[in-house]
Amino acid sequence: MTGLLLYARSRALPATLAALAATAAFAVWAAGRLDAYLDPDRRVPIVAMAPLLASAVIGASLYTPSDELDRTAVRRWWPRRLAQLAGLTALAALLVTPAVLGHTETFGPPAVLRNTLGCTGLTATAAVLLGARLSWLPAFAYVTAVYLGSNTARGRAATIWAWPMQPGAATGAWATAVTAFVLGAALYAVRGARPEGPRG
Amino acid sequence: MSSLRVTGLRVRHRKTLALDSLDLALGTGVHGLLGPNGAGKTSLIRVLATVARPDSGRVELLGDDIAGHRALAGVRRRLGYLPQEFGYYPGFTVREFVAYVAWLKEVPAARVPAAVERAVARVGLADRVDAKVRTLSGGMVRRVGIAQAIVNDPDVLLLDEPTAGLDPEQRVEFRELLRELGTSSTVVVSTHLVEDVAAACTEVTLLDGGRIAYRGTPEALSLLGERAGGPGDHPIERGYTAALRAHRAPGAREAVR
Repeated sequence: MTGLLLYARSRALPATLAALAATAAFAVWAAGRLDAYLDPDRRVPIVAMAPLLASAVIGASLYTPSDELDRTAVRRWWPRRLAQLAGLTALAALLVTPAVLGHTETFGPPAVLRNTLGCTGLTATAAVLLGARLSWLPAFAYVTAVYLGSNTARGRAATIWAWPMQPGAATGAWATAVTAFVLGAALYAVRGARPEGPRG
Repeated sequence: MSSLRVTGLRVRHRKTLALDSLDLALGTGVHGLLGPNGAGKTSLIRVLATVARPDSGRVELLGDDIAGHRALAGVRRRLGYLPQEFGYYPGFTVREFVAYVAWLKEVPAARVPAAVERAVARVGLADRVDAKVRTLSGGMVRRVGIAQAIVNDPDVLLLDEPTAGLDPEQRVEFRELLRELGTSSTVVVSTHLVEDVAAACTEVTLLDGGRIAYRGTPEALSLLGERAGGPGDHPIERGYTAALRAHRAPGAREAVR
């Protein structure tokens, strides 16, 4: 077995891919029950929650039980970490998109892509600061709070802080999500997930 | 010639000074690193293993200053390391785990299968090579840790508490392995078990409060114990406590340095 395959298994990539596929299947199933052809705004729960679930799966895959040994590797880690994070993010966006085809200006594929980037960025940052096992928590708390509290929010500021609930064409929301992803990915690539013992 | 040299090494761990202006040079052989809890043994091993950065000071391994990335990569190929707690990937077999570390160390792919078999056989786990690591006993997992540390035939081998969890027979076999490795490599063994040091080490360094309290051969440390008559059941234990007490005596620190 080659080293790269062992590396993929060490990061539980087979289980991660299966979990991402299950997330996508669930999103497609849930979207089919919303009758969104009547009103695209009904897709908001899918656009907000499916990327959040996918980012939680990605965050869990950033865990390494053998961080101390990994740090003695001859090659620098940042290219591998970046490839893993970016690859899984792209795959997650690709898998979840079929749940919300069409309506690109409102709650379609661009909004899913944006939210996948933003949520994964938050999750990657949390993996560095809190550890991979709890990396899902800050993004989950933030997106849930925004989901529950942004119904009446309007204006330019709202497109920034309530980015997960914005239509796909909202530039402020894109700027926030892309910034979150770039910062999170850079931080994770450079530092890796916070070391955690076998028992946390 | 020294394959490992540190000069003016200072390491802080949170607000504590773990290593305080440490100077140390070690060559081929088995070097025991003794000291009470918090003496700085693990901090020193982690810096030598290149997983922790010192706050100040110079670290040379195999003739290279490890501050530069190119030198660091070259040194890491020739370095073996067993941390106190190394963790393992739950789904991996012994063979896969050791092969994974060989990949980290960039052992040429064609050589990996034979290197893995040899390392696993040297720690007496040849019959468990395809067992999942999670199914092994604590002592066996420790031996898997030793196998991964030697898979690249390292020139510098750093072992932090390698005998923890090993039964007496396994410890005797491990000492034999240490003596064998020490003929061609620089082996540093951090341990609380002074009898392991007496049996397998060519030299002993005693740390206390981040400084060197004693350096010499295990025989000299035993002799010190016999002369000083400190507490302990074994001559080297008496030497250990006598050296510590001498180091802690008022005015002794500057004399040791």
